Amino acid sequence: MTLVIKQEKPKSTFSKIVEIISTMASRPSGLIGLIILVFHVTLAITSPLYAPHDYKAIDPSLMLQAPSSEYWFGTDSLGRDVFTRTILGGRTALTVTFFGSLIALLWGGALGIFCGLVGGKIDDVVMRIIDAFLSIPWILAMLLIVSLLGTSTIVLIPALGFFYGKGIVRVARAATHDVIAKDFIVSARARGHGNFSIIWNEILPNVRDAIMVEGAMRWSWMLLGFSSLSFLGFGVSPPTPDWGLMISNARGLMSFAYWAVLAPIFGLSSLIIGINLTADAFAKALGIDRSTKAPV
Amino acid sequence: MKQICKVISFSLISLMLSFSLANASSGVFKLSHDLGFGKDTNLDAITKGRLFQVVIMTQNRLVRKNLKGKVTASLATKWSANSEANEWTFNLRKGIKFHDGSDFDAEDVKYSLMRVKDPDIGSPAKKSMSSVTDIEVIDSHTVKMKLNTSFADFPLLLTDYRLRMIPSGSGDTIGQTGIGTGPFKVATFDPEGTTVLKANPDYWEGAPGVAEVHVIAIPDGEARVQALLTGQIDMNRYVPFSQKKIFDGNKKFNVSVVPTGNWRGMVMRTDTAPFDDPKVRKAVRLAVDRQELVDLVMGGAATVSCDTPVAPSDQYRLKMKCPQDIKKAKKLLNEAGYPDGFDMVIHVSTKEPTWPTIGEVLQQQLAKAGIKAEVKMTPSKSYWKETWMKKPVAMTRWNERPADSILHEAYHSGAKWNESFFKNAAFDKNLSDARGELNFSKRKKAYQNAQKTLWEESGTMIPYHVSKLVITSSRVKNLDDVEVFSVRWHKLKVTD
Repeated sequence: MTLVIKQEKPKSTFSKIVEIISTMASRPSGLIGLIILVFHVTLAITSPLYAPHDYKAIDPSLMLQAPSSEYWFGTDSLGRDVFTRTILGGRTALTVTFFGSLIALLWGGALGIFCGLVGGKIDDVVMRIIDAFLSIPWILAMLLIVSLLGTSTIVLIPALGFFYGKGIVRVARAATHDVIAKDFIVSARARGHGNFSIIWNEILPNVRDAIMVEGAMRWSWMLLGFSSLSFLGFGVSPPTPDWGLMISNARGLMSFAYWAVLAPIFGLSSLIIGINLTADAFAKALGIDRSTKAPV
Repeated sequence: MKQICKVISFSLISLMLSFSLANASSGVFKLSHDLGFGKDTNLDAITKGRLFQVVIMTQNRLVRKNLKGKVTASLATKWSANSEANEWTFNLRKGIKFHDGSDFDAEDVKYSLMRVKDPDIGSPAKKSMSSVTDIEVIDSHTVKMKLNTSFADFPLLLTDYRLRMIPSGSGDTIGQTGIGTGPFKVATFDPEGTTVLKANPDYWEGAPGVAEVHVIAIPDGEARVQALLTGQIDMNRYVPFSQKKIFDGNKKFNVSVVPTGNWRGMVMRTDTAPFDDPKVRKAVRLAVDRQELVDLVMGGAATVSCDTPVAPSDQYRLKMKCPQDIKKAKKLLNEAGYPDGFDMVIHVSTKEPTWPTIGEVLQQQLAKAGIKAEVKMTPSKSYWKETWMKKPVAMTRWNERPADSILHEAYHSGAKWNESFFKNAAFDKNLSDARGELNFSKRKKAYQNAQKTLWEESGTMIPYHVSKLVITSSRVKNLDDVEVFSVRWHKLKVTD
């Protein structure tokens, strides 16, 4: 009798992604989150193709019209179509915060892993600097940056990326500490591998999931932060439609022109909920229990 | 016959009784103040913490503006100037008594006005009295004011709402007593609670229509709107236009829109390219559709201005039309060397809630002339320090001032707040000519010439003068439809 040992074929990246997504979608909350996120991303990419009106055309004769067949979500105080502005309103926010999160992930993750690995005085100094930055209210720091450097996307993306990366440094460092004492790191060191090789080949594959989940959560926080900036008038410059700015402009009219404020509120909150649910499902699909590893 | 006499005398008596009852003060009129000066709140009109809602009812000025905005008699009955217009004689009303029973005379006038110049008091009203060097008491009811310059419109300065007459020597106590010659007397003064005023039955213009006025401290703007809605107060003059719809069509309230001389504008620094070229400034002016701004930003509640800062009701206001003219704007830009327009940044802040919206509308209007405007938000706290008079283009706002004051303060080449750095010798000369000119029509012409220069060359684009939303409960009657300092409070009535 011959014993046949079948070795499982290593999975391709594509099939891994499909597996993760199907695991995420197997839970109702994950499915809802994915649907919302996909809907918003599709809307952001395609909305200029079918926006029914000019988003910047002002017209005194159309001020604050209630929703109708012509203007589905009514018009705002300058007579602009709220539907058009709402479907276009997430584009800047999504773009800025997506790339902002990527930057946050890259620098936060890299610095966190490096500190976790080298430890000692360098780790101490870097972490105290991060602590000091964490103690600064981000909105004040952001206001300072945008009032000095302006509100262009070239300024906003790296600035948001920097501020939201601080938390990722801590998560990446903690995750690195978890794996650093494991045998395979010790044997890698014994084999004479350098720090860079150890990070790339041994640590990164083991901490990647935790960092990515953290990055996804930071994305939703950043979206809220960016919209707060717009609400205060420091995010997107008019006439670019943006949910935060739309809410800010229409909030005083809420008692009689609720449509002008409800549509952007719905857009913003649904996207944040969508990202949160997706990030949660992502964590669960990767087997990371966020309840025991609270992010800093 | 006896019967007839009885009936006639009975009817006469009842008629007189009903007349006297009708003339008696009755009811309580309630209004609010925002407690903006906290514990410094007082009843001395010339200090910073003056509770003007009270002093305008308890104290009189020498002169005031009538409902048409012209200077009219109050405690002074007549006034005249010498030929150089630098000495002014005022004849005072006789038989007037202060609330404490003392007589009003020339010494009180001298005391009340000269203390405004007292450096220890540091009165914000000092500027209105800066040209007065001395006040001479000619007799008990005549004073002569000496000025350091010719000023044909000097009585206009005395309509300043803070220049109230108080008893001579009462400076130390006036902050608490609020004694004056006005239609109401202070009964209790409680700046953080309710200040109660009672009708002055001996008021020289006749007994007031209401028996009591309650001035209630409500610091929060939204709470004041709620107080009006629930009947806690009868008048609110600070309801934002965005909330007008709450009151429109509601029978419990009277909604009136009162034009004011307060204005909003966009300042282009005339010392900075490309705005150092008058053609560029004129092109920007012509590209603006002012009526559209009035409709979109103010919901129609404003008066279009063709870049004159002079109030719509002012006798010197230059009346002209200035419709949007894109073709001419483009022509001017071409002549100035900007055939394809240019880029500019309009700095705004939420210091004035309408600025960002004005910026947004201007952005669309200027685009039609090829001018690409970016609207940039700046921090509101440091706006007057860091943005205004610093950036090439920034928004501005001014409160109503007499024509002479606003033209001097905002445009004279030597003015501290010449926000557009405007320097024009002909303009300055028109202003100084007007000050020394006693002939009204010549004076008017000089002020209007100055305004014409502004339309051609100034750096400030003034689209409109705002109107004020005044909402009163429907039980309030006879409230004059004018700015608060010209209201004749003794005429006011309330029904129950």
